[in-house]
This record gives sequence, C-alpha cells and structure tokens, in this order.
Amino acid sequence: MLDVIWILVKKDFKIRYRNSALGFVWALLNPLSSMTILTVVFSLLLKSGIDNFPIYLLTALLPWRFFSIGTMQAAGSIAGNPSLVKKIYLPRYVLVLANNLASFISYLMEFAALVPIMIVLGMTVTPHVLLLPVIVLIEFLVVFGISLGLAALNVFYRDFYQIWDIALQLGFFLCPVFYDPNIIPEQYRFHYSLNPMTRIIESTRKILYYNGFPALFDLAAPLLSALLLLVVGYGIFRWLEPRLAEET
Amino acid sequence: MNIIEVEEVWKKFRIPHERRATVLDAIANTLAFFGRRRSTYEEFWALRNITFQVPKGRSIGIIGENGSGKTTLLRLIANVMKPNRGRIAVHGRIAPMLELGLGFHPELTVRENAVVFGAIMGLRRDKLREQIESIIEFAELKRFEDAQLKALSSGMQMRLAFSVAVQTEADIILVDEALAVGDMEFRRKCLSRFREFRREGRTLVLVSHDMNLVTEFCEDALLLSQGEIVASGGATWVVQEYIKNIESQSISSEGCGEEYGR
Repeated sequence: MLDVIWILVKKDFKIRYRNSALGFVWALLNPLSSMTILTVVFSLLLKSGIDNFPIYLLTALLPWRFFSIGTMQAAGSIAGNPSLVKKIYLPRYVLVLANNLASFISYLMEFAALVPIMIVLGMTVTPHVLLLPVIVLIEFLVVFGISLGLAALNVFYRDFYQIWDIALQLGFFLCPVFYDPNIIPEQYRFHYSLNPMTRIIESTRKILYYNGFPALFDLAAPLLSALLLLVVGYGIFRWLEPRLAEET
Repeated sequence: MNIIEVEEVWKKFRIPHERRATVLDAIANTLAFFGRRRSTYEEFWALRNITFQVPKGRSIGIIGENGSGKTTLLRLIANVMKPNRGRIAVHGRIAPMLELGLGFHPELTVRENAVVFGAIMGLRRDKLREQIESIIEFAELKRFEDAQLKALSSGMQMRLAFSVAVQTEADIILVDEALAVGDMEFRRKCLSRFREFRREGRTLVLVSHDMNLVTEFCEDALLLSQGEIVASGGATWVVQEYIKNIESQSISSEGCGEEYGR
C-alpha cells in the first residue's frame, strides 16, 4: 500500500507542474508576489508599523498556502478520480492522503527554496527552527482531517468545493497573516484562537520572526484540534465511504 | 475448496428522478419530504438472491443481456461496492480488469502511466521496474515509451493498459469485456496470455458477450436476467440456454410484428 501511495504522490506532483514552462518556479513566485502586494498595501500605504513586514508576511503566507492549497486540491481528489473509485478496490483514503502528501512536499520545497530569500530580507536563523517540523506536522494533520471530510462530502454535493473556497477567503482574514493578532479585542481573543491555523501561524512566526519558542499551549492546542478534525473528518469519510462508488 | 463464495447476495441501487446536485436542492427535497411529497428516487434491485461458488482452479463466465447485473456482480466481487444483503467471500488476491487504463493520465508518458497503473493493479514496485520493459514490449509501444499518453491512439492506450494488467500475479482475474480492444494480432496475443493463466490454475471471472470465449475459457457459467440467475452450470449448457432464450424471444417478437402487420 505504501508503494501505491508513493507512486500516486509522484504522479500528482508531476501532473501539477507538467506542461508549464516555469513549473515549480510558480510555487515560489506566487507567495513572493502575494508578499510584495501585501507589503506595498499594508506597510507603505496603510503604514501598519510592523518591522520587517516581508518576513512577517512570509512566515504566515507559507503555512497558509499549504493549508488552502492542500485542502482545496484534496477536495476534488475523490470526485475527480471516478475510475479509481469505481473500478478497483483501493482504500479510498489513499487518494486523499496521496493528494495531501503531494501538496505537503510542494510546501516543504517552497519553504526550503524561500529560506535564502528570507535570510537576504533579514531573517535570522536560530536553533529554535528545530521545533519547526513539529508545527509543520501538526498542520499536515489539520489539513488531512479537513481533506478527508471535504473530499467525501464533495462527491455528493459539489457545492462543498465552492463553500470551502469562500470559507478560505474568510479564513485568510481570520488568521493573523498581515496584521498583529493583538489588535483583536480581548473578549474575542479566545474565540479567535480556537482556529488551529491561527496558532500554527503564530507559532511559525514566533520561531522564524521573533526567534523564540512558542508556548507549549500554542502547540498542544492546535494538535488537539488537529486530532479532533481527524476524528470528525475520518468519521464523515467512513460514513459516506460505502456509497462513494455509486455516486462518483 | 472454493475460491469465491457468493451467498444470497442482493444489491439495490437508487435511481434518482432528478439528481440532487446541490445543497439547495437537497434542502428543497427535505422540505418536500416533510410536506409529504413523493421522494425523488426509486429503488431498483440490480441483483436478487445471487448464490454461486467457484472452486479453486476453475473459471466462470457470466453472461446475459445488457443491464442484467453482470458488471454489478463483478464490482461486488472486486469489493468496489458492498451488497445490501448476503455475503461474499474471496480467498485469494484479485486483479480487476473492470476497466482498462484506470488512473491513466494523458499528461504523463507511456512509461510513467505503466508504473502508476501497475501499482494500482497491485504489482510490486521492485517487480514493476523489471517488468516495465516487457510491458512496453508486449504493448508494442517501444517507440513511444517517452511520449505523453495523449499523443497515442485509443487503441494504443488500451494495448498499454492490457499489457500492464496481464502482468498480474493475482489468483483471481476479473475480466469485463476487456478483450474488445486492439487489433486482431493483439487480441491473439491476449488470448494466449489468458490460456497461460488457465494453465497456471488461476481463476478467470469472465463477463462477455462472446460465447466462444466463455466456452473456451470457463468450465462453468451463470446466465443472468434482470438481476437473477436463470441458469447456472457447465458453460456449454448455459450458453446453449442463453441462445435458446434469445431465439425464443426473437420468435415471439416476430410473432407480434406479424400480428400488428395484419
């Protein structure tokens, strides 16, 4: 089964960048252009007053990109593969997992390729980065949990894809990507931080921007929500799985 | 010992009258349901009370008109769908050739597609590396191995799919009209590969409209009609029953035609 997953991951990955002249370079140009646009708008025009704003942005944009691309791509991973669902027995979660892993590898490569640019822009690398893999893995679990539920639901109602697209637009503003989370009023702070992506972004930023260790709670909380999302996502998946072959 | 056991299997499908394609429709339907309007799908039994066994080393043909449940039965055996009632036990590895070329992607090359499809069909990865040459050889696609699949004719794509599929080491091979592909020469090659399978004592479950294939490769056969077994037993006998049924049907419909003609 591991063989199949790995081969499907490679297939996904190849397809994403085939027939495009710049290929993987787009995966770097996209966050860099977002960073430039947001820097111009918020730092030069609106004077947000955050030091080294490009780095501040990138430390949030990269995890956010994995979250949005990972879940969006996976949402169609079952509905878009009817022959693999209908004609052969593969455990269906394999399709979602392979899709997520392809996004994940893309994310890691993106990250690795942008580190030199971030260093040029003034990021300092400290031993705190050793904690980064833990955050990255927690985010993968969050993405996988959501993807499982979303991919199964999307087979029955294609609307979920559109709904999720809108939810992601909202989510982009609900996460502290381009603003300081301290602007959130005290009484809403708790609700605000229930969003696992908020803490994942804050922890990534703590390590790469503030050069410190995130609080243990800031890791434990998203891990808990990741596990919760996995349970819920897998539950939805298992519930719908018997009918997937008939509906795709 | 039986390699496949199918016991009192029933399979139901829902046929929606209007496909509920959006959440809004579903809500509207739910409201309609509370308003006691008729539900928008009807139930349809694709298979009714199917029972049969395939002893180890024997092969079985499944015949019947279109829509009689042959493919549904194969899908149940392949574990792609679950029966609503009854039990299916399979003792051995299955290679489904329900549809050739599943997982093929037009942007990938012939070689890359062979690897993906091979892995999905359950070929081991280390084996696959060795076998890839003979797969491409068998498909007669050596010249095109690094071409994107979309550049190939559909016949060539089918040849590739078939060549990967016949590498299988599974004990049970489910074949759904897969031989309707390729030119005569390729078909001849495929048939000889099937004879090899038989000599090795592997089980073929063959869905086909080609009665010669069924009688050549299968000891036993099932005749399905509207989801029920109407004849089962030796392949030659079942095929004769099928032909008899068709003849009597066509005679009776000719009779009708005469009556109307008068």
